[in-house]
Amino acid sequence: MASHYEAPIRKPLVTGDKTYHDVTVDIARPVEGKANKMWWIVFSISLVAFLWGLGSMIYTVSVGIGTWGLNKTVGWAWDITNFVWWVGIGHAGTLISAVLLLFRQKWRMAINRSAEAMTIFSVVQAGLFPIIHMGRPWLGYWVMPIPNQFGSLWVNFNSPLLWDVFAISTYLSVSLVFWWTGLLPDFAMLRDRAVKPFQKKIYSLVSFGWSGRAKDWQRFEEVSLVLAGLATPLVLSVHTIVSFDFATSVIPGWHTTIFPPYFVAGAIFSGFAMVNTLLIIMRKVCNFEDYITIQHIELMNIVIMITGSIVGCAYITELFVAWYSGVEYEQYAFLNRATGPYAWAYWMMMTCNVFSPQFMWIKKARRSIMFSFIISLVVNVGMWFERFVIIVTSLHRDYLPSSWTMFSPTFVDIGIYIGTIGFFFVLFLLYARTFPVIAQAEVKSILKSSGEKYKKLRDNNSNHNHNE
Amino acid sequence: MKNIVKIALFSSVSLLLVSCFNKREPNYQFMPNMYESVGYETYQESVAFKDSMQAQLPVQGSIKRGWKPYDYPDTPAGLLLAKEELKNPLLADSLNITSNTEAGKALYDIYCAVCHGAEGNGKGILVERGKFAGVPSYGDKNRVITQGGTYHVIYYGLNAMGSYASQINEKERWQVALYVEKLRNELVK
Repeated sequence: MASHYEAPIRKPLVTGDKTYHDVTVDIARPVEGKANKMWWIVFSISLVAFLWGLGSMIYTVSVGIGTWGLNKTVGWAWDITNFVWWVGIGHAGTLISAVLLLFRQKWRMAINRSAEAMTIFSVVQAGLFPIIHMGRPWLGYWVMPIPNQFGSLWVNFNSPLLWDVFAISTYLSVSLVFWWTGLLPDFAMLRDRAVKPFQKKIYSLVSFGWSGRAKDWQRFEEVSLVLAGLATPLVLSVHTIVSFDFATSVIPGWHTTIFPPYFVAGAIFSGFAMVNTLLIIMRKVCNFEDYITIQHIELMNIVIMITGSIVGCAYITELFVAWYSGVEYEQYAFLNRATGPYAWAYWMMMTCNVFSPQFMWIKKARRSIMFSFIISLVVNVGMWFERFVIIVTSLHRDYLPSSWTMFSPTFVDIGIYIGTIGFFFVLFLLYARTFPVIAQAEVKSILKSSGEKYKKLRDNNSNHNHNE
Repeated sequence: MKNIVKIALFSSVSLLLVSCFNKREPNYQFMPNMYESVGYETYQESVAFKDSMQAQLPVQGSIKRGWKPYDYPDTPAGLLLAKEELKNPLLADSLNITSNTEAGKALYDIYCAVCHGAEGNGKGILVERGKFAGVPSYGDKNRVITQGGTYHVIYYGLNAMGSYASQINEKERWQVALYVEKLRNELVK
């Protein structure tokens, strides 16, 4: 023990006197046990919401986009708002697993699995919108550059909407592979513990015959590092590309160079808020308080605070540049945001995104589970409004006053959004019952360096050494 | 062995899929959104019209812009009159006589030569093959052939010959008349 140096200032990441076996048992418990009544209730609600959303999507596709509240001026509203919102939420997962891995943050170990699951499930939700908001979604395959009988008619690679296709599909596939490779040792653990033949078969299939040999582990680590190195620029570029949908346009309020970093910051901001929301519930429901400690929540709150401040800076920058630009259209765009018919949405966004994360400067607030839960919800509401404000307020009043109009969603717009939330939770709830929601292999790798038991041991030891 | 089974299965499934196309019927279409016309297409059938034809006749006696009615009646007297007094308006444009004659040749070779023969000697390919007989030569000195008469015959047809007014327009009829004149001069010579 004495040979290992760990700064005494670092707080334990695994509390309770956990052994390796305890970690296994704790993490396998939700998978091996039966779902309780509460799970079924929540699952049913989510499923109903999902089916309702599915109905709305089928209605939209079969009847037409006119069932939505869009009009000739505002051609993008809830669809793209929700798309960007879900993509943004999906970013925290990869950030936690990739960026924090590059920075060797040990606290990511307990949360990365669920964060990545959240990434994948929310990117799936996001992926729905580019398809269902198409007028003719059955020709959606035309966005792919596939050799064809139209004289090999090709796509134009100049549109950010095409880049979106590549960005989102690459992001989903890389995240999925990254997530799944990380799952192999954990599935193998479940496989080895399974007593029922069916579960044994399933976990044998999904664990790809992982046997945990030294060579396997060595390559596993290398792959994780390489994927983390690839996923990090991916995270930044994916949301950048999403922001290009707006930033490359000529619409006042959209045409801004600040969008790429600002959207990414917003994505991390909202993504962490979502992770926080989910994990606060999960640690309670699955009895993971010893793994997802208050320390984890505090660190996530700090990330929320930092990214929230970056977003706040971006808002101020936009306002400054609008004033400084001398372009009356741009000045009006921001005046319209703050005082126009959608001022309520703007101020909602400002309150939720700029003011609420500032409470996290107070230690008592960021270490309060209840408070951080509420703030995370507020942040996600705020970030939804951020996308809504950017999209709708810029479109509904731009160059020609004769084209000014208003936007209000129909029940189909809302139904689809609720449906994606339902779908997300259906997937997440199923995941929580069948997947090892904490990366046990990784937690075990930090147990002896950051476990409470071993920290105490080390403290006593070093005190002892000093006394000698 | 396993691979052979797989390949066989794959190829039979693909064959099955391909064989769905029946050459006697139009092929299957994927989402024919704008394949069928919403507006009326020229020769389509439609229940909106009494005789189901989209192409309806104009009102009798109406005159469209850029079109002159042909006043000579379809009678032997009309033909005689046309032969005597109807003049080719293209003759007024003496600079373009050559090009008009050339255009007339092209049209003659398409519409007339099958029966009348490329030289106008009444030995077109249909006559040669014995499909029918009795096509006179332009070189027959007993026949009075003027450009006005040719025009009249193209317009209405004569005896076994049908009208060509729906195939070639007014100017083209006169160009053909020019070329027929030229053929006759060569034959008579």
